[in-house]
Parts: sequence; C-alpha cells; structure tokens
Amino acid sequence: MNKKKELRPIERRHRGPGAVIFSVLLWLYAVISLYPLIWMIFYSFKSNEEIFVKNPFGPPISWQLSNYVNAWTKYDVPLYFKNSVIVGVATVALTIVCAAMFTFAVARLRWRARESARTFIALGMFIPVQAIMVPLVKTVSNLHLMNTYLSLILPYAAINLAFACMVYYGFFKTIPTEMEEAACMDGATIYQTFFHVMVPLVAPATITILIYVFLSAWNEFILANVLVGTTANLKTLPLGVLFFQGQFTTDWGSMGATMVIASLPAVLIYCLFSEQVERAMTVSGAVKG
Amino acid sequence: MKRYLSNKWAIALFIAPALILFVGFVFIPIVQVFYYSLFDWDGVNKATFLGLDNYVKLFGTSAFKVANLNGLKFGLLITVYQIFFATLFALAVTDKRVPFRKFFRTAYFIPVVLSVTIVCQLWVSIFDADHGLLNTLMDRLGIEWRQNWLNGRYSAIWAVAFVNAWQWMGYQFALIVAGMKSIPQDFYEAAELDGCTTVQTHWYMTLPLLKDTYNFCLLVSVTGGIKAFTEIQIITRGGPGTATNTLAYIMYRQAFVTHKYGYGLSAAAILVLECLVVILILNWLFRDREAVKVPKKGRVMA
Repeated sequence: MNKKKELRPIERRHRGPGAVIFSVLLWLYAVISLYPLIWMIFYSFKSNEEIFVKNPFGPPISWQLSNYVNAWTKYDVPLYFKNSVIVGVATVALTIVCAAMFTFAVARLRWRARESARTFIALGMFIPVQAIMVPLVKTVSNLHLMNTYLSLILPYAAINLAFACMVYYGFFKTIPTEMEEAACMDGATIYQTFFHVMVPLVAPATITILIYVFLSAWNEFILANVLVGTTANLKTLPLGVLFFQGQFTTDWGSMGATMVIASLPAVLIYCLFSEQVERAMTVSGAVKG
Repeated sequence: MKRYLSNKWAIALFIAPALILFVGFVFIPIVQVFYYSLFDWDGVNKATFLGLDNYVKLFGTSAFKVANLNGLKFGLLITVYQIFFATLFALAVTDKRVPFRKFFRTAYFIPVVLSVTIVCQLWVSIFDADHGLLNTLMDRLGIEWRQNWLNGRYSAIWAVAFVNAWQWMGYQFALIVAGMKSIPQDFYEAAELDGCTTVQTHWYMTLPLLKDTYNFCLLVSVTGGIKAFTEIQIITRGGPGTATNTLAYIMYRQAFVTHKYGYGLSAAAILVLECLVVILILNWLFRDREAVKVPKKGRVMA
C-alpha cells in the first residue's frame, strides 16, 4: 500500500510526450521484429500470384495448403527433419553425459589438476567455430566419419562442452559435501553416488543445457555446411532451407512452407518454456568475459 | 572419505569422454590452425614449411583490407543497433508501469530462436530487388526509392549486417533484462526517496551496475563483426565482387574453393588473434577501477 502511494508522483510525471514516443517506439519495433515472421507464415499459404501481385502484405485470401503438401512430398523436408531430430537429440545426450561426468570429477572429486582441467575446457568458450572449421573437416574425414551422423554429432557436442561444463559447475559447487559423505556411509560406490545422488540434484542445470544445446544444434549452419553440405541424405533443416536459394522465384509458397516447418519446433519450445529458454540463452552472460 | 573422493580410476573414467571429445574436435583443430598457417598445403599432399610467408602475402592483399574494414563496419552496426535497442527495450520491459511487457519480451526475443539460414532466406526475400517486400512496399507507398539492396557495392555489407543485428538484438535484450532483474529493488526505492527521475536513476545507477553485462554484450557484438560469416555466405557470397568479404569468408574460400589450406588458415589465425585482442581490450576498459562492487548474488544462474 505504502509503496504504491510513493510511486504515484513519478507515474504522473511520465505520462508526457516522452512516454508516448517511447510506447510508439516499443510497438513499432515489435512490428519490425514480428512482421517478417508473420509475413513468412502468410506467404507459406499463398499462391505466387497472390505473393507478387494481388496481395503481398496481408493474410492469404485463398489458402494454399498445397504449399505444405509440396514441401513435405517434393522437397525432402521429412528427411531433413528426421536428420535434424537425430543430430539434435544425440548431440544433447552426448554433451550432457560428458559434461556432467567431467564437471562432477572437477567440482566434487579431489585430484591435483582439477582446476587446470576446468580452465582447459572453459577455453572452448573463446574459440570461434568459424576459425576451426577447416581442420575440423580434416579431422572428421581422417576418422572416416564423413557420411555418418557422427560427423555432426561429435563436433557439435565438443563445441558445446565448454558451455555445459560452466553451467554444471555452478550447480555442483553448491551441493553440500554431506551428500557424498552420507552416500559413502551407506556403502554406495562413487558411481552410484554420481548417478543416484548427484545427477538428480543438478536437474535444473541439465534442463538449461538441454534447451540451449538442442536449439543450437537444431539451428547450426556453419559446420553443417562444410561437413554434410554435399551429402544429400544427411542434410539438416538449416541446409535444406537453402535448397531453394536461386530458384525460389519459381515456388515461394513451398519455400515459405518449408521455412515455417523448420522453425516450428524451436518457436514451439520457446513459447512453451519461454522463461527457461531465455535463461538458457543468457546464462553465458553471467560469466565474466 | 578422502580416499573415496580421490579414486583414480573413477576420476579417469569421469573426465576421459569430455577430454577426448574436446581435445579431438576443438583443441587439436585450433592448434592446427596456427601450425598449418605456416605451411604451403593443399589439404592432401605433403605440406611445405613457409614460415610467415602466408601472413606476409595475406597482409599485402587488398582483400585483407576490405575484409577487416567490413568486419569493422559489421561490428559497428550490430554493436550500436543491438546495444541501443536492447538497453531501451530492457528498461521498458522491466518497468512495471509499461503495459504488455510479456508480449514485448516475446516479440523482441523470438528471432533469436530461429535458424540463421531461415532468417537469411527471409531477409533475402524481403530485400529482393524485383519481388521483395521492401521494394513492393516502397512502390505501394509511392516512394521512389527502389534499391538493389543486396547488390550495391557500398550498401551490401550494411544490409547483411542489419540482418544479423535484427536477429540477435533479442539476445542482448535478454542478457540486459537478466542483468537488470538482478539489481536489488531497494536500490530503486532509495533512488526514488532521493528524488531521482527515472532517467537519472537509470543513467547513474542501472547502467553502471550492469558493467559486466555490457562487457559481455560488447564482446559478443564486436567479435561478431570480426567473425561475420554465415550471413555473408548465404546472402551475398562475398559479392558484389569482393565488397562483402570478411576474414572468415576469405578463409572459407581459400580452403574449400581454391584449396589453399595453409593460406586460408593464416586468415583464420588472424581472426582468432583479433578476437583475443578485443577481449583483452574490453576487459581492460571494463576493469574494476573503484571498489564499487555489484552484489553478485542475484547473478548466480537459476
């Protein structure tokens, strides 16, 4: 009650022209941010004639569901979708297993080089993917992994490790040592302690990592382009979308439909778990650069 | 207990998978970048040692100058655009007096979760010279300003940088919102009691308290300019001519198109070094000068 009363004078002061301009700006940018996406959804339901001549801006007049049928049947979208799901899920699983075990050893177990090991992996945060893509392609082909899903999964997991370990470290450090002591007294092996005591305790971190790693694998382009860009049956959705490059003037509707299908999982995840997604994406900001 | 926690076998088992993965797919590649940048290598046959010749050659080309200038322009646009709008909108959505805060938050953040290829493809169709949304809009509004947005020698790099700025503004926005939420509410109550206006409060209190957040935001966007690649590769392929070349793009072309791996890697090495220099400079600029310490409690994740 008291607080409300105190706020009022400031409130009144800011109902002036400044506040009006400010809210116009907020709405204007919301349009700039959202309209391209809405426009994409619109044209995914339109015929070429409507897109180019009759009705470029508004919602479709006659709904062309055939664009989606075309995208799904003519343009290999199901294959790209399947590849993206496989790569995304496997990358998440591998990253989480490796990072959780590693961070457990670094944060909870006692050995001499643990701090150096942690710093070593953390260096990954500062290594741009762009820079290492050339040797990475060599490595993958030397290991005879080309033309397999592993050609994407292993590098993806490796580049996400630094982030995942950082998030886990914050959690593992907050767990009281009594946990291990109690588990030890009860006769649990160190492995049992890890799987049955520690893993459930860091579940919130696991969720953050899961969301972040899945989204980044789902949307990844730079490595996918050089690793599977020429292998038709392994292409993920971000590459599949580019299939239309150069020839899109002939079939904008189907291109729109493909892009909508490709964005749907990520947008859906965001709409359902917006708090967690925003947190997952911004956790890295809490480390000092 | 001590023995329980220093079980050598367990430690080895727990750290091995992560270390192998990291060493194999990140550490060795980054070492190779620097190592092979000293060689003449086509990626297949035996490499011959050149010393610093690749670097000397790279520095002498006009493409290198163009690439660095483009990195600078790209970085400048995304830094100014993202930090300006992100700060403004973060102040808005954390202010309880602004209606529809949740909607704005979602609207500004949503491009971040899209794939960069979809965003690029989308903006290609918006910028398209014949059928693009932008030129059609100009026509309908009767404005004589049709442009070949992506093919202009001077405009292309800005158009491409804009696409990146548009997509990732929401990321910095979310970072700054998270930072602002960690500032204790009683700070604001104190400022209010002292009779500060909203603008004064934010200028003298909120922004200085977000020093670390801004350090990180700047780091992301300035190095984002140096690393610019994806948008270039998808939208302009370095063109028209070499007008939108960047360091990463030069490396990509040299390695995968002309098969001069060693030469391409010298561009990659410069890219890594430039990013490192940016990080060092920013950390120096943002070093703690006085003993004004932000309470860090709220910043612990989750």
